[in-house]
Amino acid sequence: MNAEIQVPSIFARYANNQTVFQVKGNTVGECLHNLGKQSPGLAKLILDKNGNLGHAYDVYINGESAYPNEMTRPVKDGDKLNIVMLIYGG
Amino acid sequence: MLTTEERERYDRQIMLYGFGEEGQEKLKKARVFIAGAGGLGSPAAIYLVAAGVGTIRIADHDTVELSNLNRQVLHWDEDTGNKKVDSAVAKLTRLNPTIKIEAIAETITPDNVSQLVDHFDLIVDAMDNLPTRYLLNKTAIEKDIPFFHGAVYGFEGRAMTVIPGKSACLNCLYHGAAVKEEKFPVIGVTPAVIGCIQATEVIKYIVGLGDLLTDRLLNYDGLKMTFTELKVRKDPNCEHCGNLQGR
Repeated sequence: MNAEIQVPSIFARYANNQTVFQVKGNTVGECLHNLGKQSPGLAKLILDKNGNLGHAYDVYINGESAYPNEMTRPVKDGDKLNIVMLIYGG
Repeated sequence: MLTTEERERYDRQIMLYGFGEEGQEKLKKARVFIAGAGGLGSPAAIYLVAAGVGTIRIADHDTVELSNLNRQVLHWDEDTGNKKVDSAVAKLTRLNPTIKIEAIAETITPDNVSQLVDHFDLIVDAMDNLPTRYLLNKTAIEKDIPFFHGAVYGFEGRAMTVIPGKSACLNCLYHGAAVKEEKFPVIGVTPAVIGCIQATEVIKYIVGLGDLLTDRLLNYDGLKMTFTELKVRKDPNCEHCGNLQGR
């Protein structure tokens, strides 16, 4: 499946100013690992040492939360994935 | 009952369809607790005071530092070294002397949070740390007080409104996740945008207008100049609000 992943703008510096990626994968996990191949810097931020989604991140598929079990959620052709980082600043 | 001066002061918003003097009187009777007098708390407080919310209690234990002044617009150069709440009350009173403004120069803790928000109708989450945000969220759910969340980082920010027993809460959004908290980058216009969204939600809730940001996370990206809406589901197993589902 071909999907699009959008990452927060603050991550642009880790990916040559890119924040939107075209990826392949049948699940969110496969898509994120494909993203990691395109941008190892992003993978280090978003995925933990076991290759799972870091606890400070959430994934939304077409605007809907993929929580829980995000990594095994199926992805369809044309799906848009958003990576959302936990922020706390005020 | 509005005074002649209040009718004149709020004339332009009383003109709004669905607002009227009845809406203004609702604002006058409302009691809003603002947690934090920083980047988010400043614009939220300014616009709530300008709109005529009758009673505002603003809590913050910090003192004003020079590095706050790029974004915390209630505090000016002359205020450095002073308590933020004192600086805030001074400015807000000058903006609208008809509003009752209470300053609480305390850290919000599990021991005092219930007392701090007691008898207040709404809570504005303008904090700068996650543990206190969770604490306020949980307290809001327990005491059935609507909770208006906002957060910022760099050019990005987000807002969500929590109606206890009805909509997803902050803990549903983040599932209790915690992060190592560090000094974060931020440009002042970002909390200005988000704080104003929080104030807009508060005014809408009090007056009873429009659609609230419930079960929706509004994500603002100032660099791309986009607003993205993400659906947030109420988690039936949420440690803060799960047992209240369907109340």
